[in-house]
Amino acid sequence: MMLIKRYIPLAIVFVFGIMTLATYYIPPKLAQDYYLETMNKWINIVAAFAFLLALLSLFYSHYNKIKRKVDGWGYSIFVYIGFLVVVVCAIKSEGQLMTGPALTSLGWIFRFLYNTLSASMFAVLAYYIVSTAFRSFRIKTLQAFVLFMAALFFIIGKVPLGNVLWNKLFFWTNVSISQVTDWIINVPSVAAKRGIMIGIAVGAIVTSLKIIFGIERQYMGKD
Amino acid sequence: MSETWLIIGGWVAAGLTIFIFSFLYKDNPFFKIAEHLYLGAGMGWWFQVMFYNIWKPKVWEPVKILVNGLQIIQSYHIWKPEFWKAVWTAGDWTIFIPTLLGLSLITQFFQKISWVSRYGFTFIMGYGAGLVIPVSVSTDFMTQILGTIKPLFKVGTEMSWASFFYTFNTFLIAFGLVCVLIYFFFSAEQKGLVKKASNIGIYFLMLYFGAAFGNTVMGRFSLLYGRFDDLYKYSSVKYFYAAQIIAAALAVYFILNHFISAKKSRAAQDNSGS
Amino acid sequence: MLEKFLKIDRRIIFLLLTLVLFIPIVKPLNLPIGAVSVDTKKQATAIVRHCFKKDLRVGVITFIAGATGLIEEIFEKVPQEYRKEYGKDYVIFPYQADYSAVLTQMGFDLYQIYDKDKFGTHPKNLPVMQGIKSYKDMGMGICITGTALLDGWVAFAGDKFKFPLGGGVTAVSQPGYGPYLQTGQLVGLLGGMKGGAEYESLLGIPGKGTSGIDALNLGHFMVVILILISNIIIIVTRYF
Repeated sequence: MMLIKRYIPLAIVFVFGIMTLATYYIPPKLAQDYYLETMNKWINIVAAFAFLLALLSLFYSHYNKIKRKVDGWGYSIFVYIGFLVVVVCAIKSEGQLMTGPALTSLGWIFRFLYNTLSASMFAVLAYYIVSTAFRSFRIKTLQAFVLFMAALFFIIGKVPLGNVLWNKLFFWTNVSISQVTDWIINVPSVAAKRGIMIGIAVGAIVTSLKIIFGIERQYMGKD
Repeated sequence: MSETWLIIGGWVAAGLTIFIFSFLYKDNPFFKIAEHLYLGAGMGWWFQVMFYNIWKPKVWEPVKILVNGLQIIQSYHIWKPEFWKAVWTAGDWTIFIPTLLGLSLITQFFQKISWVSRYGFTFIMGYGAGLVIPVSVSTDFMTQILGTIKPLFKVGTEMSWASFFYTFNTFLIAFGLVCVLIYFFFSAEQKGLVKKASNIGIYFLMLYFGAAFGNTVMGRFSLLYGRFDDLYKYSSVKYFYAAQIIAAALAVYFILNHFISAKKSRAAQDNSGS
Repeated sequence: MLEKFLKIDRRIIFLLLTLVLFIPIVKPLNLPIGAVSVDTKKQATAIVRHCFKKDLRVGVITFIAGATGLIEEIFEKVPQEYRKEYGKDYVIFPYQADYSAVLTQMGFDLYQIYDKDKFGTHPKNLPVMQGIKSYKDMGMGICITGTALLDGWVAFAGDKFKFPLGGGVTAVSQPGYGPYLQTGQLVGLLGGMKGGAEYESLLGIPGKGTSGIDALNLGHFMVVILILISNIIIIVTRYF
């Protein structure tokens, strides 16, 4: 059992890892014909099934809430209602949002239900940005002051009123606010982001090597 | 879609938007309904996208072709080579490999056979890890370092403010990167020069985070503005004042709820007092 | 006394923000106007318009399931403005799940993944796809996204196959793309709404986003003022 439960999966990750890695360094034509083309097609299909994991675990947790009648279990029914409404409309419209110039039922659901809900959910965050800015943006250190100044340039640089104000107050510097924000993006930001990128790249390379060699296998779950 | 459906849509959109915003006042059943509906509708949307874009054309249809193709074999005897040739050429049998690997992921939910999902996961992880290594080395490591190591002076340019500024910026990027890397990689012990450099690194990071924060404000506001704009549209006579009526109804709910819960808590206090 | 002000109910701030953004919609204040457009959808619209204006062929792919609706909304309107036809001037491909696999495959032979377009026809039969098999047959790729997908494009398509890339990203991630721009791994970038609007005005296409500007003007200043007020209160209570 150990063989099919553990060793073969570890062999799979090793073999596919090394082979995929190798394709980067051998002539593309060769890699493409014998390996990559098939793999790319397969991976794309397997990845689509991974979505079922998210779907089933959501269904399962809300099914449990309803079954156990935990506080607020009635709301869980709306998860199923939302799902069914979209799927039924999709089947009716065969996955199309429009037929010619007319909205299908799926198109209606997208515009008035799904899009409205997701836009509203994210829009609410604007309120929290503002209240957090008031309650916890404390300029206590020089570092916090630098962060505030950078943010300030971008906030006022983004709106016309800010540009007008800047030109009135700082016309004598001969520098426009967009030159300042451009400089921040093109010079100090490049240094900072590049440092982060190199850090992440090193981390990704190490983790990937650990996965290929079977050292990191948390994703496999417990035995 | 008829005009009536568009008006109903206006009511639905206005209602859901107001329900979600009502959370800003306080948590309430209407927000919870909208929130759960969002969760379900989102999953439903993803499901239909997966179904119509991948599962149906890339899995179901090849399998259907295969099944149809297999109908010929009835005319051959099982011991004849023609039979096996017909089986082989009926369609694309390899489609079952990714399908089974994909379906294996679902065994995660059943403890006894959850090990089957390892076949799917190891396949994805092996391919992904193999793909990521060379790409990280080249895109985010080598190219970034090469982009930093640049000549400080442009050849053939005269001394001017512009060329001085170029030299200054090129130097600053390289200097800043070194400081940021020192901040990241020498996190254990920092003394003397290393500490100074890593402190300077923090300032570069702060400028970057400040820029990102300043930019976020803009993005969030325009999204919020978009919602308000829609609400304003639905508050017109064309939509029979959908936004106002729903907002007013919700306000009435909050007022009633306030008095009822105040009464309840008073009653509870009386009970515990006596 | 002043410290109490710092602990005010956050709902008062919420109400303030609502008023600041809502009042200008109902009653425009005519503050200075500049073009501000809405989001990445605007960027995508502007870029599609530009391509059609220059009579370029356009192929659309996506790796975000939530974006399929937006794509349809854009292509329901824009092609008509330039009298462009589906199949002849542009094509929309179905959503795919794994971007790294698909972007790698498109460097060799995209028909292995995209064997059908959105309507189920084989794309090889469409006039718009004549002579196109992989990245080297295309002029450039532009990735417009609210996620980190652009990084994937740079790594798997741009760098590996020497495919010129442009991007359109949300404002928050815009400052993070300085490194790719400096090395030329990206040839251009639109950042947030302002990017979309600037691009539109460069093309001479009138954007309709100008109406929101009053609200955004005030909202932005409100954030700055709130940060300043809270910090001034702290300084005052500490030193006076």
